[in-house]
Order: sequence, then structure tokens, then C-alpha cells
Amino acid sequence: MAMHARWKRTGQSNNTVMAVHCDGPLPADRIRRALDSFLDDCPWPASRLRRPFPWGKLHWAAAPRAALVPPPVRHATAASAGDLQRLIEDEINTAIDPTRESPLRVLAVDTAANGGPAPGVLVVTWFHPLMDPRGGQNLLAELSALDASTGGARRENGHVAAARDARPFRERGRIARGSLAYMRTLAPVAPVSPGGALTAPGRVRYRQQSFVERDPGARQTREISWRVAVVGRAMAELWRRRGLPDVPFLLPISVDLRPKGEPGATFGNLLAFHFARFRPSETDDVPALARALRHQMADAVRDGQIEANAVAMEFLHYRPLRTMLRALPWTAGGEIFSFNCADLADFAPALARCFGRAVVNAYHVPAVLPRPGIGVFFNRCAVRHNVVVSWVDGAVSEEDANRVVEAVGEGMGWARTP
Amino acid sequence: MLTSDTGDGSVLRMPLLPPGIDAEEVAGILTAFVNANVMARGRPIQPDDDFERAGVDSMGLLKVLLFVEAEFGLWVPDEDLVEANVTSPRAIANYLCRRRQLS
Repeated sequence: MAMHARWKRTGQSNNTVMAVHCDGPLPADRIRRALDSFLDDCPWPASRLRRPFPWGKLHWAAAPRAALVPPPVRHATAASAGDLQRLIEDEINTAIDPTRESPLRVLAVDTAANGGPAPGVLVVTWFHPLMDPRGGQNLLAELSALDASTGGARRENGHVAAARDARPFRERGRIARGSLAYMRTLAPVAPVSPGGALTAPGRVRYRQQSFVERDPGARQTREISWRVAVVGRAMAELWRRRGLPDVPFLLPISVDLRPKGEPGATFGNLLAFHFARFRPSETDDVPALARALRHQMADAVRDGQIEANAVAMEFLHYRPLRTMLRALPWTAGGEIFSFNCADLADFAPALARCFGRAVVNAYHVPAVLPRPGIGVFFNRCAVRHNVVVSWVDGAVSEEDANRVVEAVGEGMGWARTP
Repeated sequence: MLTSDTGDGSVLRMPLLPPGIDAEEVAGILTAFVNANVMARGRPIQPDDDFERAGVDSMGLLKVLLFVEAEFGLWVPDEDLVEANVTSPRAIANYLCRRRQLS
């Protein structure tokens, strides 16, 4: 993930937050101990992002174990839902500088209770390129397992980071060049948030809403193409309210490359991207758009585009932006995608309990870049469907974000739940 | 390969499932594909296992549907993509056998 030159040195956050609501307060001291114990096996949470002098590839570097400082674990109290919202937004906006501090930090929040035990919320914040949402869940599951075991638990699947691609460099280079050539054919796009004069990023905000299915028996599939079509419709409404022309939307859809059935690797990039394209006018017929998106995705799998993108992502890994811009000149203006949308799937079953507490709900709030300035993120925790809209103040208004949440819930046929 | 337009947007490449092959065998073929191409090694699924519970996501299911297209000559039409038809390898096999009877 590159920092665009336009936002360089503006303090733009590349944080992502995972909020885990539990049925009781979370013990900060036990979390600290688990993190410290985790460092015995894996230094990544205490590492720094380094580039060798005078040149070289950015990489995570860690001091010897004795010198490793565990990531900070803090404690806070939230008297109301509004307080919690502000605490989480502070976590998103206080940008982590991974060259100078741990790429990860933890905040245990006690919330106000009405009589019963006070629910707790664990807020894990990290520098986005350190790991993806599933990686964050894997890490938390391991910390929780370490806490539960007196002698120290070990990873079930035995690998912390993604295995290296064993194919020869030349072959990977050929595949990556093919993917970059494809990406260069993607037309430049305008974001749904053309805040025109926005040259300095505003504060990242978010809204989270849980839903349940109105009629679980009538549920069709959980296809991402349907979700993207529904979100696309909500974005097209935003687009039309701004009186903008019917030019194509472009958005990246992340594909988790982990083999299914086990947690998979924790650290590093395990995602490839498919690029969905459609016009705002196509969102009038959501089922037809979902079909079209499904066909686009099927073509991308048939043509090997998604696999090729995975290889290309490895080549773009922590590259300086200027070299990325040479590879993808259409990003030069800073207008990269129309909006973000991702389905972050089911919250890990291994996290039904976390540090001795039952998990009630959990969701992810990634910071979005000022362009496109808005993203919609789905996930599920037990029967709850969570929708998180993350936006940048100035690019999109709170009212816009609220309308998107409502439109997505309506489009999915869900009922709101507290 | 012979093809015929079914009129519902799907294209049948004939024959859709050889006559001698039954749902059990199709479910076995699909299960083997999923275990080799979608699931982690050491975490195989069985023909009756629910894809969702096994962690198979939207992309994994798409891979299965593309395999069905390549192996059995049917691109599953969108209106048939309901949970009952694609919830497990056996559900897909049963669906394919029903389609064979219809054709």
C-alpha cells in the first residue's frame, strides 16, 4: 500500500481498526502478557518498517528478543456509545508511523453498564500493510489462546507469514507484467466523493450498523457480486445527488488467497484484487448488475487475472509510490478508485471467546484514503451482518454515509438490530 | 463440442453429464476438486459438508462453478444460484442431475 504523494506528510492515517465487543471487561494486563509471550515466537508486532541505506526494499525489521518492546496496551472507559465512537475514531486517526513505533497497539475499553457487568470492547489498531483483517483475527486468536494456556500455546497451522512463491523470479515477473499491463488498460476514474478542493485529508469517520436477515429462509447466496451491486446502487445515488455524468465506476474487490478450512497466515499481504467496472446507470437494475459483475469475476478467474494480480501485488510490495505510478500511470492524479467495498467474511470461529469473555460482536474499520474518501465493509459475527461505512470528512458528509448504510441494509433485505 | 442455447441465458455444451454417471459420482468429483483447489491441505470436506461452514467463500464457489462449466458443460444460470443448489458438493451434483433430466 503506497502513500500517495498528494497526502504525504499530511498525517494521513493508514491505520485499520478491529473492534471486538465482549460480554465483560477485558483485562489489559493479561493482554500485555500474551503480547509479550507472543514475541518469544514472533517479533512482527514489535518490528519497524525499514529501508536499507542507501537503497533497498522496505521490510519489517526487529531487534533481538531481549530488546523487543511489546506493543502498547492501554485502558480507557467509555460512558456512552458516543464516547466509544470517539475513542475508536481517535484510534483510526492517530496515524501509526511504523518506522518509529510498533505497527500495532491495543486499547481495552470498559463501557457503561445498566446494572449488569460492564461490557468491554477490545480495539486493536495496526498499520494496514502489516496484516489484513483475517490476519488481525488470527493474531487475536493466538493471543487469546496464549492467555488461556499457562504454558504458552503454539500456532495450530504453524506459519506466521505467507509462504514465499516458489516459482522462478523470471516466471513471476512475466505474470506480474501481464497483470500490470491489464491494470494499465483500466480507465482513470473519478471517485464518488469529488470534494474538489480537498487537498488536505480530513478526519476519518465511521458508522457501524448491525443487521439481521428479515427472512433467513429466503436468503439467496452470499455472493460478493450481489453486495457490490447493492453498494454500487447506494454510491450511484450519492453520485446523482452531486449531478455527475454517467461515467464508469471502478472498484477493487479483494480476494483472500488463504486456503480454506484453516486460519492461514497472519502477517503480510494475502490479498489479490479483481477490478469491477460498471456505470451508475446500471445500478437501476441490481439483479442484472449482480449478474454482470459475476460474469466479470468469472472472466477474471478464467483468464488468470486474479492469480496474476496476486503475483503483481508481491512485486508492488512496499514500493515507493513513484515506481508504482510508473507501473500504474492512471493513479497519478490521486483518483484511484470510485469507492472501496469489501466483504471481510465471518469473524473467526476461534474467537467465540476472547481473553475469557464471550464475543458479542466484532467488525473492522479501515481508514480510507481521501480519494475515494468512502468505503463500505461487510462482515458477519454469529447472526449479525455488520455494515461499516468509513469516510473522510470533507470528501463525504455524515448524512451521505448514513444514507449509504440505510440503502445497503434495505438493498440486502436486512432489518436493523441494536 | 456441441452446444445449444437453453433460452434461459445458460449454454449447454452437450452432453451435460454422461448418462452413466450418477449424483454420487458427480458429488465425488466435485468434492475432489474442492479439496485439491480450494481447501487447505489436511482440511478436506465431505460431499455433504456445507461450503459456508467449511470456509468456502464467494471466490471459492465461483471456482467450483467454473469447474462445473469446464467438466460438465453447464454454466449455472443466475436464477439457479440459490443456496439449495450450491450449498454443498452433493447439492450441486443433485442440481446437475436434475438439469440432465430436464434436458
